[in-house]
Amino acid sequence: MHIVVGVKWVPNTQAVRFDPHTGTLIREGVPSIVNPHDLHAVELALKLRERYGGRVTAVTMAPPGAVKGLEHIIGMGVDDAVLLSDRKYAGADTLATSYVIASAIKRMGDVDLIVFGQETIDSSTAHVPAQVASWLEAPYIYYVEEVEAIEDNRIRVRRRLEDLVEWYELEMPAVIAVLMHSQKPRPVRLIHKLRAVLEKPVETWSNEILRLDERCVGLKGSPTVVTKITWMPEVPRKQKIFKGEPKEAVNWLIRRLEEEKILPTCGADKCGEGD
Amino acid sequence: MQGLNRRFEVIVVGAGPAGLSAAYILAKKGFHVVLLERGRGVGSKQVFGGRVYSSLLERVFGSLGDAPIHRWVRRERLSIINGERMLTVEYISGGKYSFTTYLGQLASWMAGKAVEAGAIIVDEVRVDRILVEDNSVVGVESGGDTLKADVVVDAEGANRLLLEELGLVEKPRPSDMALGVKEVIKLGEEKIDERFGLRSGEGAAWILAGSVSAYTPGGGFIYTNKDSVSIGVVVSLESGGLVEEPYRLVESMRLNPLLKDIWREGDIIEYSAHLVPERSVRLIPSKLALNNFLVVGDAAGLLLNTGYTIRGVDYAAYSGYLAANAIVEAEEKYGSYSEEVLRRLYEERLKRSMVFRDIARHKAVEMIWENPTMIKQYAALLLDTLGGLYELGESTPSLRETFKNARRKNKVSLIRVMADLVHGVMKA
Ligand SMILES: Cc1cc2nc3c(=O)[nH]c(=O)nc-3n(C[C@H](O)[C@H](O)[C@H](O)COP(=O)(O)OP(=O)(O)OC[C@H]3O[C@@H](n4cnc5c(N)ncnc54)[C@H](O)[C@@H]3O)c2cc1C
Ligand SMILES: Cc1cc2nc3c(=O)[nH]c(=O)nc-3n(C[C@H](O)[C@H](O)[C@H](O)COP(=O)(O)OP(=O)(O)OC[C@H]3O[C@@H](n4cnc5c(N)ncnc54)[C@H](O)[C@@H]3O)c2cc1C
Repeated sequence: MHIVVGVKWVPNTQAVRFDPHTGTLIREGVPSIVNPHDLHAVELALKLRERYGGRVTAVTMAPPGAVKGLEHIIGMGVDDAVLLSDRKYAGADTLATSYVIASAIKRMGDVDLIVFGQETIDSSTAHVPAQVASWLEAPYIYYVEEVEAIEDNRIRVRRRLEDLVEWYELEMPAVIAVLMHSQKPRPVRLIHKLRAVLEKPVETWSNEILRLDERCVGLKGSPTVVTKITWMPEVPRKQKIFKGEPKEAVNWLIRRLEEEKILPTCGADKCGEGD
Repeated sequence: MQGLNRRFEVIVVGAGPAGLSAAYILAKKGFHVVLLERGRGVGSKQVFGGRVYSSLLERVFGSLGDAPIHRWVRRERLSIINGERMLTVEYISGGKYSFTTYLGQLASWMAGKAVEAGAIIVDEVRVDRILVEDNSVVGVESGGDTLKADVVVDAEGANRLLLEELGLVEKPRPSDMALGVKEVIKLGEEKIDERFGLRSGEGAAWILAGSVSAYTPGGGFIYTNKDSVSIGVVVSLESGGLVEEPYRLVESMRLNPLLKDIWREGDIIEYSAHLVPERSVRLIPSKLALNNFLVVGDAAGLLLNTGYTIRGVDYAAYSGYLAANAIVEAEEKYGSYSEEVLRRLYEERLKRSMVFRDIARHKAVEMIWENPTMIKQYAALLLDTLGGLYELGESTPSLRETFKNARRKNKVSLIRVMADLVHGVMKA
């Protein structure tokens, strides 16, 4: 069985701050990481390989720096990886992104199962897996928590929604998106990581290889326009410290909160002096 | 999987300056060397800037022409702060002895050299254990995988879990450690030049004592990087020195009325806190070599923390270089990496080197710096003396009178001053 797992190389949003002067992202010194939810997809793919044999290929559309992310995935035990990278692919929306990914999967030819993460931490549209399925005209299911069986070219999956659990059977090749936090992604192993460095199992496919119509990829192939991004302003810390007995501290705090008009003022000195 | 059958002669643990230098020299001499680093990428964990002395680095790497040098330090400042008053001494240096850099960038540069020379660097792999069989080191273990080699170089840095397990060092006591907290403030190249009085490419290194560390033993530092300023405080954890949340120490330095205008309009782009060995002399392992095993860099206690400056990058690099040369020589001359051979070729040479002698020599300075009451008293004494000279009302007192008044006010006898002076000089 050949499983393809899609991962996205994203800025570590926990480390990103907005510059309040310019309204842009401060990305300086912010490292990119593999979208954390995608590690659950990788874990599920590796478990399936252990159960049913075959091989797992990771794929990402990203700038060249994403090789580091693919090496991380290979360090977890994935067999090989393809980086879809070309200047022409830059500025893609989800439609253009999914088109490139789907085209690469078609080029591989022998794919039985395509596994994605639930969504990304930097855009969270959850569009890409569904769109890839559409391009491939393959059945698709998301919020998959577990694969229960693969037999006779059919896959049975369990998906969990807020208050119910469902079982689905799909014909393969199929596309599934894995519920976030549903797996326990395995750590990178010395022998796998060493292989990633020594054997360089990451291939790069540019548009020279994929030969896609330039009007369908990158910015040109992207009908979606992000019209506005705004951010929640940071609340400056007041940095007041009160040292003393808990009772005094409570009174002190209540007075401060009144001053800030967070609590209604009660006017009387007796206020807060009860036990 | 053919690549995996490749045999490594040397495993280096840790991609800091020590491990990278060792790997670089060994690869250059044709050794198959693999370097294992637990962090993601090399130097990824440290954006922070500091000052690095160049001469030992030049010995290891030859020219530093393409190194990520931000500024060559030209202005050295030393200040004592007491409340609203500050005394500053400035020395303008004539040569190029040290430069400022982001240590992470410097490590990446070293990694580039090592890889170019043929070293294999594998990141995201933490070594759990040094493998020992029949009294000899045979390799390392990581997450259940083992990797064997003829010799292992331990460059794990100051947090020495591997050496602890081998029984070469004890768990650090809090009193052996100091805490360094640091911020990097982005300011722009021109503003830095202007506000520090620098010409393009020149840097300033500034050391501060007194109320800047709330009189806890330790001190503050300011370094100019290319377009940012690194500021920080190093405090001793001894004597329960830490009274504040760590970040507050550096924050109160940033907000200090005497300093804050220097980085006006700046943006904090990085905050970090690290433990630093305090009395490195005490932290030197009982042995720096075992059969097929060497210890280099901070792991070997090769760090100078004088309370006003931390110096370790060049020592680390140099010890890595000595270790690599020892391995080459051991192989060529003895065909053996026995403890005896490695001690002779590495440990003894290291102990005779300037690096080692420096670390012992600077203990006296550390002691003066670590004595908070002394700093507090002398800071006040000096500032009161100068205040008396400069802050004039109707009368103009002589230097001797102001000094006497200041001594009285701070209850320091002349004999004490003399005794401390002599004491300090004798120790130094
Ligand atoms: C600053 C910024 C500007 C943007 N500008 C635009 C714009 O102008 N127009 C627009 O339409 N969109 C824009 N986007 C969104 C961008 O198109 C998406 O990031 C991208 O197409 C993937 O969508 P997603 O991150 O929501 O992925 P999701 O659909 O949430 O991802 C679900 C899963 O699909 C897989 N996946 C996602 N992306 C990839 C990939 N590249 N390679 C392999 N697998 C992948 C992963 O398994 C992931 O878990 C912008 C995003 C940002 C952050
Ligand atoms: C706050 C602060 C400021 C400093 N400022 C300066 C300065 O301005 N100038 C200066 O010269 N020095 C400075 N130093 C000291 C300097 O950083 C160190 O002396 C130097 O980095 C030591 O190099 P090293 O290679 O021995 O160790 P490190 O640089 O600590 O490298 C050790 C490496 O080993 C890795 N590692 C550890 N354990 C394992 C394991 N089990 N498996 C795999 N990898 C592992 C670590 O991730 C790390 O990358 C400063 C130190 C601190 C804390």
